Amino acid sequence: MNTILSFYDFADALSAFIKDQQPTEERFNQLALSLFALQFASVEPYRQFCGSRNISPGNLNDWREIPALPTSAFKELELSSLPPEQRTRVFHSSGTTEQIPSRHFHNAESLAVYEASLLPWFQRHFLADWDELAENELVGPIDKPGFIFLTPSPALAPHSSLVHMFETVRTRLGSRDSVFCGRLDDTNSWALDIEQTLFAVRKSMCANRPVAILGTAFSFVHLLDHFAAGNIRYRLAAGSRVLETGGYKGRSRSMPKTELHQLITKHLGISPSHIVCEYGMSELSSQAYDRAIEFESAELKQAQPQEARRFHFPPWTRAQIISPETGREVSEGETGLIRLIDLANVFSILAVQTEDLGVRRGDGFELVGRATLAEPRGCSLMAK
Amino acid sequence: MNLPNYFLADLPENTALTPTVISDACQTLKKNRENYLATRTTQNLIRVISSVAKNWLEPDDAFRQETLRLGPAATGFTRETLATGLDAFFQQITAENLQALMLQEFGEGRRLDTLSATAAEQKMNRASFARGPELLTHITGGCIPNATLTSIIFGFLTRSAQFVKCASGTAFVPRLFAHSIYEAEPKLGACLEIAEWKGGNESLETALYAETNTLTATGSDETLETIRRRLPPKVRFIGFGHRLSFAFVTAEVLSGMSPQRIISRAAHDIVAWNQLGCLSPHVIYVETGGKISPEQFAEMLAAELDRLEQQQPRGILSTEEAAAIAYRRSFYEVRAAHSLDTRLWSSHGSTAWTVVFENDPRFQISCLNRFIYVKAVGNLKQALEGADAVRAKISTVGIAATENRAQEIANDLAHWGATRICPLGQMQNPPLLWRHDGRPSLGDLVTWTDWEL
Repeated sequence: MNTILSFYDFADALSAFIKDQQPTEERFNQLALSLFALQFASVEPYRQFCGSRNISPGNLNDWREIPALPTSAFKELELSSLPPEQRTRVFHSSGTTEQIPSRHFHNAESLAVYEASLLPWFQRHFLADWDELAENELVGPIDKPGFIFLTPSPALAPHSSLVHMFETVRTRLGSRDSVFCGRLDDTNSWALDIEQTLFAVRKSMCANRPVAILGTAFSFVHLLDHFAAGNIRYRLAAGSRVLETGGYKGRSRSMPKTELHQLITKHLGISPSHIVCEYGMSELSSQAYDRAIEFESAELKQAQPQEARRFHFPPWTRAQIISPETGREVSEGETGLIRLIDLANVFSILAVQTEDLGVRRGDGFELVGRATLAEPRGCSLMAK
Repeated sequence: MNLPNYFLADLPENTALTPTVISDACQTLKKNRENYLATRTTQNLIRVISSVAKNWLEPDDAFRQETLRLGPAATGFTRETLATGLDAFFQQITAENLQALMLQEFGEGRRLDTLSATAAEQKMNRASFARGPELLTHITGGCIPNATLTSIIFGFLTRSAQFVKCASGTAFVPRLFAHSIYEAEPKLGACLEIAEWKGGNESLETALYAETNTLTATGSDETLETIRRRLPPKVRFIGFGHRLSFAFVTAEVLSGMSPQRIISRAAHDIVAWNQLGCLSPHVIYVETGGKISPEQFAEMLAAELDRLEQQQPRGILSTEEAAAIAYRRSFYEVRAAHSLDTRLWSSHGSTAWTVVFENDPRFQISCLNRFIYVKAVGNLKQALEGADAVRAKISTVGIAATENRAQEIANDLAHWGATRICPLGQMQNPPLLWRHDGRPSLGDLVTWTDWEL
């Protein structure tokens, strides 16, 4: 293996790894250690942190030993190897306006890596059946998927990594009538333009074309509240699907996942097999999904096994479930904090410690929720 | 120990309570009160209560033993933490303290027995009588049993039948205490009901509220508001919201002969009930300028917490609680790597204890379970500025100060609005006469009759 001397060499090597049909554990380890060495050398706060633990690239052999930074550190420190003048984009974590958000800086190169990581894994889970839909004449041979995004557009939310993800999906994979149906309310919080959403949904129904609706859990709650209030039940065209992500963050009443999915099935006629959950965050450049949509004929649709939903990251991102008590990886079936090593975080920090709890299941995990009170400040008692 | 089914909380776990069961229980309580409690004298009640409390302090007392045996699994507190906490509590429940409480609250010990008057009132030709509510309901929150046991004792003193609705998973100690009363004096025990369900069960609670005259509730502001809104207008409501506490250590005591004693007191306040009460410190403000710097104080405190972990281990946490500590530690580890103003000490291979030192007076809410902030300040004023954002929520301030400064500090804190000031080391151990949240202990429960002679 050639020594990787620069971030740009690394980006090339990663691109090959992403395309590799059978990536090896050994190669992942090599790449992780190479990237760690590069970030150690060029991201000063990270080097300092590793120094406090007496860890340096010279004394590491295993990617599992790479020190992870908590997501809260991305609020406090500028964790980027990009010099300030090259930072053309920044993604912020969502949250209340009182809190300082996490910041993930990008330039053209790092956005290219982001897209190279996003698209294959997204397609594999959300659009894997598209060719079969065409073969079965549910869509035209050259039709692209029509996306309805329940978030504001990139112009309204330039610092949202989720919106950037959706915009990338729209420009690279979507039909021309794909649309963002979110807006900003008086307090600059995300809201949903119900009329526009309904218009787009009805349009797809009139054309009998499958449609994909993508949004945060709270935007779906908002939409479904409207359906429930009007006692509206739609049956979207066969092959329609939903991608749901993220929590509620106080923007609407929260609702257990199973209930939300039942309501999606009830009001939109989309079966659970066509509801995909995404797990991602602004500090990362890769995403996890909890199922892949498979083509199913009408007969199959009746009886479908409901296995538990497990998130999987792509081969270039590894999730570890860490025992908060011991700091070591938990055993199969146990709960702990989710830690991620994302090779696509080239110009940032590859090892991220989240405040999310997950149950270790095989090579994936079940999402349990967030450790409350984990983050200093922002506690309800502090709210004025 | 095989306890009979005297209380609803004794029923097997899967027994479904119904509104009728609740209403019947309340009516039985009221009837029993009429027959067995309403006509008792204060002296009689004080005798029974103080003797039950004395039993709890005996090492071979069956209820105490049962609490320590099953408590760790039922409450999450280790045997040592339970024993220390219960001892501190029951030591307060003496006949003398109960008499003093009556005097503090009513100015005269027989107010609840008959029309009576203080010397000053006699001069004014007045006498007064105070009577408690017929049915007093307690909606308890939080996992520390002391507050619930205190409420029950106060309710007996006001001659009220009592229905104690414990938050789910917290009825264990109150239930054993109720049994100990029943054993000592079955007729008193028959005026008390202990039940447990997850709050928000509207049908059960509506039935309970309909029978209730006065209700005390402990919980978050949202919980209290929800309860208050659902109460019938005739019910008197006494809410105790969540409170925060901190400590203040002066430079002089750290220059004195035994700084280690100050450290040890601070550690005891953190370890008591695993820091989970409203009276436990989130932050210890340490004045600069002493022989021991605030940073050294933090380091010594860490060593002391480590030592105490051997004597009085914290016990096992839920994954979520442990995760809060682990994640927060990781944040301060990063900060400490970048700034000399932050330092972190923590137990190895566990979340047992954590000390964060910060050279920043801003009050910080701890994730508790023995996670303490030590903050350097130039003086009390700086500490109070740092805590200004939570001023309205502050309950206790534990102070370590020389005699000649203590008076001034206490005065400043009183004017600032702290409702309790106590010596460091006593924060989680309030005296029986403590006025919870600055409110009268019994005074809020009663209604007066004034007689103008």
